[in-house]
Amino acid sequence: MLYQITHITAYEYSASVSLCQNLAHLTPRTTDEQQCLQTSLSISPEPAVLSSRTDYFGNQLTFFAVQEPHRKLTVTANHLVEVTPRVPIDGSLTLSWEEVRDRLRASRSRDCLQAYQFAFPSRHVPFSNELIEYARNSFVTGRPLFEAVLDLTARIHADFEYDPQATTISTPIHEVFQQRRGVCQDFSHLQISCLRSLGIPARYISGYLRTMPQAGKPRLVGADATHAWVSVFCPDIGWLDVDPTNNLQPSDKHVVLAWGRDFDDVSPVKGVILGGDQHSIGVSVDVTATEEK
Amino acid sequence: MVTTENWDQSVMGSSRRAPTEDWLGYAPTAGASDEVFDANSHVQPHWRGFLESLSLMGLPELTRRWVEAKHLIRENGVTYNVYGDPRGMERPWQLDPVPLLLSPTDAKVLEAGLVQRGRLLEALGQDLYGPQRCLTEGYLPPELLFPNPAFLRSCHGVRLPQNRRLHLYAANIGRSADGGFCVLGDRTQSPSGAGYALENRLVLSRVLPDAFRECRVQRLALFFRTLQDTLQTIAPHNRDNPRIVLLTPGPFNETYFEHAFLARYLGYTLVEGGDLTVRDNRVYLKVLGALQPVDVILRRLDDDFCDPLELRPDSFLGVPGLVQAVHAGNVAVANALGSGLLETPAFLAFMPALCRFLLGEELKLPSVPTWWCGEPRAREHVIAHLREMVIKPSLASIRMEPIFGDELSREQRDELAARIRTRPQDFVGEHRLILSTTPVLVGHQLQPRHLVLRTYLTAHEDSFVAMPGGLTRVSASSDTMVVSMQRGGGSKDTWVLSDGPVSQLSLLGPGGVPLEITRGGSDLPSRVADNLYWLGRYIERAEGLTRLLRGVLVRLTETSGLTETPELPVLLRAVTVMSDCYPGFVGAGAELHLPAPEDELLSVIHDSKRVGSLASTVNSLWQLATTVRDRISNDMWRVLGDLSPLRVDQRFTPTRERGNETEASSPENPSLARQASEEEAENHSLASRADEEVSDNKHNVPLTLSDELDLLDRVVITLAAFGGLAVESMTRSAGWRFLDMGRKLERAQHTISLLRSTLTTINNPEGPLLEALLQIADSAMTYRRRYQGSVQTAAVLDLLLADESNPRSLVFQFAALADNVENLPRDNSAQPRRSPEQRMMLSSLTELRLAEADQLADADETGNRPQLQELLERLNANLPALSDALTQTYLSHLQTSRHLSQGLSIRVHEQ
Repeated sequence: MLYQITHITAYEYSASVSLCQNLAHLTPRTTDEQQCLQTSLSISPEPAVLSSRTDYFGNQLTFFAVQEPHRKLTVTANHLVEVTPRVPIDGSLTLSWEEVRDRLRASRSRDCLQAYQFAFPSRHVPFSNELIEYARNSFVTGRPLFEAVLDLTARIHADFEYDPQATTISTPIHEVFQQRRGVCQDFSHLQISCLRSLGIPARYISGYLRTMPQAGKPRLVGADATHAWVSVFCPDIGWLDVDPTNNLQPSDKHVVLAWGRDFDDVSPVKGVILGGDQHSIGVSVDVTATEEK
Repeated sequence: MVTTENWDQSVMGSSRRAPTEDWLGYAPTAGASDEVFDANSHVQPHWRGFLESLSLMGLPELTRRWVEAKHLIRENGVTYNVYGDPRGMERPWQLDPVPLLLSPTDAKVLEAGLVQRGRLLEALGQDLYGPQRCLTEGYLPPELLFPNPAFLRSCHGVRLPQNRRLHLYAANIGRSADGGFCVLGDRTQSPSGAGYALENRLVLSRVLPDAFRECRVQRLALFFRTLQDTLQTIAPHNRDNPRIVLLTPGPFNETYFEHAFLARYLGYTLVEGGDLTVRDNRVYLKVLGALQPVDVILRRLDDDFCDPLELRPDSFLGVPGLVQAVHAGNVAVANALGSGLLETPAFLAFMPALCRFLLGEELKLPSVPTWWCGEPRAREHVIAHLREMVIKPSLASIRMEPIFGDELSREQRDELAARIRTRPQDFVGEHRLILSTTPVLVGHQLQPRHLVLRTYLTAHEDSFVAMPGGLTRVSASSDTMVVSMQRGGGSKDTWVLSDGPVSQLSLLGPGGVPLEITRGGSDLPSRVADNLYWLGRYIERAEGLTRLLRGVLVRLTETSGLTETPELPVLLRAVTVMSDCYPGFVGAGAELHLPAPEDELLSVIHDSKRVGSLASTVNSLWQLATTVRDRISNDMWRVLGDLSPLRVDQRFTPTRERGNETEASSPENPSLARQASEEEAENHSLASRADEEVSDNKHNVPLTLSDELDLLDRVVITLAAFGGLAVESMTRSAGWRFLDMGRKLERAQHTISLLRSTLTTINNPEGPLLEALLQIADSAMTYRRRYQGSVQTAAVLDLLLADESNPRSLVFQFAALADNVENLPRDNSAQPRRSPEQRMMLSSLTELRLAEADQLADADETGNRPQLQELLERLNANLPALSDALTQTYLSHLQTSRHLSQGLSIRVHEQ
């Protein structure tokens, strides 16, 4: 599937900003299932500094700075990405989760270490006994890893309500767990904590999801959104994605931007400003399959 | 914040062993090795000369000199801040007069071991922030890297200038019972204490000049010169003359004194994060009205605080964009960002193997035996030997006090073992060392204390050189091995004795390279200008208020009733207006205070809780002075020290509430006016807090007005001395101009407000009031010389408003302000017209010069002086406007940084 993606982030300030410095993770990765054919970033006002580097996790990281006074900042990313459909994995065929855990602890191969680094707590993903207990209902003794992961994914989807009003970016996962509501980011952090606290490497994926219009209604431009889901490491197979928000294995409707330990590593746009007083932010995302054009 | 001090700690018995020779009655503790006496209780040869010199002098003489030295330390303002200490921002530095002596042999062993360790840590840093072969080859467990918050992923893969990560490295060294050295911990991100070592040396070489010379002590200056050279070579730009700054977290940090001291000693500008900004991938220093490129940052800020954009987001102590500037290769940070990782306590367990792997050498200097409990065998060893262990966290980020196995009961040990088994990766066991002892002066005796030596290395070419000396710290008593400045331990100078010639290099004297003559010094950070400006204002505010209070108290002591001093009510009202301590003599209750003004006056002088009181003004002044410590000379700093009687946290008790006078004057009650020592001050304030609920009357204060007058006299003289030093010894740089503008602006405001509250309405008879005003404005002598006996309003107004030869007159302040404004750095090409602040000064000055004193003194039929009133109001309105205009032009980039909300649209939910 070929997608044309437009992702606009706009800030407006009630007072002039004299300097803003930003980091953006807005370049889609190229993976086995996805190829980024074109990508561009346009920023208004024109930034004085715009430079890219590869971050620790292999994502493309863009630094930009606007050094002239401004009251509005718009960051527009355009991508053309081709996604190959992925075949769902039969979870029962994977190694038992304990074996995966023990192999990662013991191995010093570069591949295993690359995965093992995602088995530890991070800023947004602390460990807690209540989450271990919650996870244990899926991770019973000897159960194949991915079967347990799919079961956990389904349970999170069933137990938690999707509610954009319930949380913000800074809501800790123990609160999400208590109130049983949140958004994709919360569910992903929560599931990652469950997995890592059992010794299973799990990473946070930032990307886009292609949404379908409701029957009989036209597709709304900009109704799509940035999305977050989870990837789990299974030795001999590799990284396997699950989407706890929608209870599914991503196939060809998910487009990957970047991955890291949690949201903090891959935030699409973050920044520090000088001045500005109050500010508001607006984000719009449009994911169009090119054959629709 | 910022540095966590983990020292090796333990507790032991304190039986003494008798030495075979008597040296000033010193007897070391049994069970530990001693620096002075060897195992057979003979004095070590390298101590003999020093002890002979000390014996010759005698302990009483040493004590006498030491009292002087302590005075010097206090006057120099050497401090170590302890959070939560009632003495607040400054606690005097604890130094012992007996240095630690290291023999040339010991020093060589240490240097060889530490240079190797420096190279090892450098190599380890390069590997962990690069290919991580230590992990894939199995020399370091990944569990010590991946979850370690000290591992900064955004600094991975940075190409460092000269390929160097550690430029200043420190190690804590202990000597164990067998007499060998071992490393207790490494300091790799921004080691503290090198400046204190230097300060200790300056003091000790003054107290014991003969012993210092005879012992052939190696000098420290060459080490700092090497550090300077190293920092110069890592500059990515301007290598011939790089701009190097010392980045401090600010005056609240426990070692801020040292930051200011080192900055001045090394000749670097002391900056806070807010003084720097990143533009075009380069770091700039915000100076008055301009930005100057910075090439090297010697930082005293911990790794994760350095950049709120890429590192720790919840702190703005650092510089947004710094990591990006480092990636771009435009600035060198010493030590490199991320180097704190190398301080990870559990790494100690892996040093011997890492040394073989990374350097192909055997480790020369052992670490304290350490086991990381994440390894099953090590864990079982630690648990089996808990009594001999100190249990500590494996990562520096884990907050935990060290636990001493031998202090625990059996049940407690079992609990600890269970805790370790639950999360073994979080703990290390460290063999409990018995640190060596060395003599310290306690009272008139020498007593043994356990010691830890922190010594420093600086990168040099592709290796390191060691400081011939260091900072020795001693335990608070012989019973404890807790060695920590935070916990009340002391420090010592460290003398490395030389068997060859001693280098006489001094950074303070002429160096090897002829200096380029410069008259610049244009590196004044805007923040410092701002603080100097406010320091000037507070000094003047304190002086103005003190003079007014003195004028009032003089009248109260000299007379017996209000009838003889008709001017008193007007002056008392002026006290309230000028100090802003309402209601006082103006608002509700004024009629009660006016007949018996003493209590209210004492409160305005001493009650530091009351904003605007003299005590609170002096406190603010002191805090501001602390923030510009590196801009004020030692003499000026000492002068400010004389204000301490007012800074003491005195709880003010009004006389009206006293039970009776005899109880109040009993000797255990401290006098407000007395020069209380810091210690007494602490006792007093603690005691008064504890007693608060018991009785409000206990800490009554036997005060006489003449005591108070003495105090105010001293304050006036102190502030005048500060002003005199500022005039006589500060170069007329922009910094001086801001200090001076603050003073002149405040004095102008003070004079205006004094005249407004006393002379705009006629109070009959006016003579005594005019006399008082002349005294308060320090112009009585001039007046008398000119007009002899007759005191008239017009003549007084002329002298106080319009006489340009009178340094206390209003016109003098405006003329000086206009001159300062004229001489501030200004981009003339950009602004051919006069700036707003220039125009403002010109109009006020002209108005004052044209004013006619006779007309101003004219009163209307209601007894008001409308012309005077209007003039003062117009002038008064111009002053805040000037203050704003200065801020706008010179200090506008002192804005604070904030985070943007992070963009995440949240509508994805496919049903």
